[in-house]
Amino acid sequence: MERFIKDANTIVDSKYTWSKRILVFILIILLVRLWDLQIMRGQEMKRLSEQNRIRIKKVVAPRGVIYDKKGRILADTRPSFNIYITHEDIKNFDQTIDGLVSLLKISKEEIMERLEATKGLPPSFPVKIKSDISMDDVAKIEANRVYLPGVNIQIEPKRFYHYGKMFAHMIGYVSEISDDELKKKEYKDYSPGDYIGKYGLEKAYEAYLRGMDGEKRVEVDSRGREVRTLEQKDPIPGNSIYLNVDLDIQAVIDKALENRRGGCIVVDPKTGGVIALVSRPAFDPNKFASGITKQDWQAIALDKTHPLQNRVIQGRYPPGSTFKIVSALKGLESGIINERTIFSCRGGFPYGGRVFRCWKKGGHGSVNIHRAIVESCDVFFYNLGLKLGVDRIHEMSDIIGLGRVTGIDLPSEKDGLVPSTEWKKKTYGQPWFEGETVSVSIGQGAVWLTPAQLVQLASFVANEGINYKPHIVNRIVSPEGKVIKTFEPVINANVKLKKDTIRLVKEGMKGVVNEGSGTAYGSRLENVSMSGKTGTAQSVGEKGRNLGDHAWFIAYAPSDNPSVAISVLVEYGGHGSSAAAPVAKMVTDRMFNEKKEIKEARLNENR
Amino acid sequence: MRIDKRRLYHLDWYLIINGLVLFGVGIFNLISATSSFYSGSFNFIIKQLVAFFIGNGLILIILHYDYRAIAHQSKWLYMGGLLLVVLVLIIGMAAGGAKRWISIFGINIQPSEFMKPIIILFLANMLYERKKHSVKLGLKDIMRPMAAIFIPALLIIKQPDLGTGIIIVLTGFSILWFVGLKKSTYALLFALGAISPFIAWMYLMKPYQKMRILSFINIDADPSGFGYHAKQAMIAVGSGRFFGKGYMEGTQHKLQFIPEHHTDFIFTVIGEEWGFFGSIILFLLFAAFIWRCIKIAQNANDEIGAIIAFGIGTMIFLQFSINVMMAIHLAPVVGIPLPFISYGGSSLLTVLASTGLLLNINMRRYMF
Repeated sequence: MERFIKDANTIVDSKYTWSKRILVFILIILLVRLWDLQIMRGQEMKRLSEQNRIRIKKVVAPRGVIYDKKGRILADTRPSFNIYITHEDIKNFDQTIDGLVSLLKISKEEIMERLEATKGLPPSFPVKIKSDISMDDVAKIEANRVYLPGVNIQIEPKRFYHYGKMFAHMIGYVSEISDDELKKKEYKDYSPGDYIGKYGLEKAYEAYLRGMDGEKRVEVDSRGREVRTLEQKDPIPGNSIYLNVDLDIQAVIDKALENRRGGCIVVDPKTGGVIALVSRPAFDPNKFASGITKQDWQAIALDKTHPLQNRVIQGRYPPGSTFKIVSALKGLESGIINERTIFSCRGGFPYGGRVFRCWKKGGHGSVNIHRAIVESCDVFFYNLGLKLGVDRIHEMSDIIGLGRVTGIDLPSEKDGLVPSTEWKKKTYGQPWFEGETVSVSIGQGAVWLTPAQLVQLASFVANEGINYKPHIVNRIVSPEGKVIKTFEPVINANVKLKKDTIRLVKEGMKGVVNEGSGTAYGSRLENVSMSGKTGTAQSVGEKGRNLGDHAWFIAYAPSDNPSVAISVLVEYGGHGSSAAAPVAKMVTDRMFNEKKEIKEARLNENR
Repeated sequence: MRIDKRRLYHLDWYLIINGLVLFGVGIFNLISATSSFYSGSFNFIIKQLVAFFIGNGLILIILHYDYRAIAHQSKWLYMGGLLLVVLVLIIGMAAGGAKRWISIFGINIQPSEFMKPIIILFLANMLYERKKHSVKLGLKDIMRPMAAIFIPALLIIKQPDLGTGIIIVLTGFSILWFVGLKKSTYALLFALGAISPFIAWMYLMKPYQKMRILSFINIDADPSGFGYHAKQAMIAVGSGRFFGKGYMEGTQHKLQFIPEHHTDFIFTVIGEEWGFFGSIILFLLFAAFIWRCIKIAQNANDEIGAIIAFGIGTMIFLQFSINVMMAIHLAPVVGIPLPFISYGGSSLLTVLASTGLLLNINMRRYMF
């Protein structure tokens, strides 16, 4: 009996022992596993948990502001809402993508395209899906946040062009950097989704305007929502630029050229500072800044009137009669003609078996240089041109800066052409025919100039032999308000001309506007004397159709002490006197009436 | 019946303090675990504290009666518990979805939790005579206990509450082993143990439960679903390293990378915030508590007390080890709360009532 009890006890005891052994055994397993996870692989696990929660987000720097000469804002930045997708945070790919497609006006293809473009980047990199969404869309996305893990709305500065089309060609636009650009070396510190200046001043001054993007280390939860900011490196805003441009004058031209095709540039002949620059038709730069849609882009790119072309610096047209000033300058300067030289105009000029016509059928009769300029007598210049020869005309053009880029601070400026015997030989391998000189002397034939080049001619005369490279930007100012760069006038031409040459050409150009027989008499002004020269250039019709002549007018004012030089082109506008000169008149009127008013106001003050 | 004053001298203060410390750690940890919730920690903590006080009242009631008397009446408890489990099933089906709890006066109670100590009592009452006389259980002898285990277990798994079902089955079998089994019975039980996973897989488990098993085997098979949570739990514990990230500093649970981090995945919060060091302390607290259960069983006045104490110790041991293993990817994800630590009134009440039974057994270990 006793043995039995003892046996029973040992059996029971062994059960307790086993229980304790199992307990210790399991505890050891747990500890080994914990040791493995927390000590051996702790570093890695820590990194994984950090990766889970920390995202590095870019804080886009606001782009520099663009001001006109009076400090009025032409372009700045405002907040916009952009949608990003973070691949890593997407739980159910189809659900998220389909959700976005149904909530926003965006196609699945567009989203996939954008995701495709960033394939090589880490899955934690947020990919921009849509820019500048409306408040309605923001509300829709926010309300459906739960079903859209991985989707984020980011508030970012967006470029805003206060005057839209008015400054389209001058200021240009920013747009998202393209894949091709990203591959280039010069854009190596840009990443997908960044905005970059693509046109106009935005492109030319990209380095100054861009600023430095900041960085934000943020904690996100399992749905990718920002919980808090751990660390922030503030962005440095871009530098501001002040232009030589006067918004008021720009607006006057903008209105004058409304619904027309053409271009106009106004500069200060004493510095080359660009007061206004307008090209028409124009595009809306704000459309680009908010991520242009495919349809909009195609509408602009395929438009037959070429709104993307900046006609002022890229449009090459025969200068027509405005070019007579070049012939006149060279003729007088070289002594081939003088004040008393007279040619007879009977309405035509027979040469080489054909008759070159004067625009006035009845002819001008006996014409001296003054009348030839004032009344734009073709025959006078046919004679002069033949005596000069094309090379001397080319020589003078080259001094003034015609036929080559003016060096204006805008990208993609085009040169032009003023022919020479050398040029013809080089290009066609043929000798020059004198008959061609006849056309060139009145700005027809193989003469192709941009409005920007012709304003150089106006400046050249206005300044009596000196002109400067046109420059739009006056100075660059840092965000703290420190001027970091100013632009001194850069001389383009500086020649000592004979006093008589200058006097005769200036008198002629003054007569064009202010004498009863002048071709631009209709555009004379009461308070200020404007000098100018009209031009009516035969256009090379599109596809053989002749849509009419291009109208030109170059001018400077006031006649005796010029402070503004103007070049106006109206494509297919007809006569320079009727289509182009009135634009210059409006500009001059606006500029000098205002000055007069200010003067009067000051006088009142002094009383 | 009044408690003999001498009994109070024999209250196991060691167990009480051990339990209180565990509960204190639990509350402290729960504040951090629930701090990221939209409604804040306050409601959770209040509810947990209310459950704690109710639980203490329950302990007093349990101490008032002799554990033998309680065990003798356990068939009523068993039938009542079974009724509630069936009720949950019926209500759940009527509601057209799964349900683990029933609402009584606005309080959600989870009858499957209460079923765990009830079955222990029921089995103790059924088998103590056998143990007393060291009669090993033959095949015929285990039929009744098996039925007593499986009827509620299967009903509970059906709810579906796989975790509690597993705990009940494993605890029940441990008790059978503790009582003593014949060799043939061992063979049968091993065979049963071998085929039951297949039966469970084929007939009992829901697709999402199967997914959990599959993602346990290959954690990367479903990186966004169950595998994702298991992985995130592992990352949470691992990222705690030696000393942890610090109290309230756990990012994994705060940023919602881990679901149920206040209930079934509560260990991830401790692992992340207190590291290896804190985890060891928690393990030692549990080990000491379970060790104490074994001790109480060993010192119990009679076999019925020994079986109850052993059963409770086993239950707590199983819950603790499976819960922790779940968080460190040593076990598939099944819903098992960590005793004393996890949020949940039913779970806490069950643990406290069990502690009451342990105290009861310990207090009455001497004959007067």
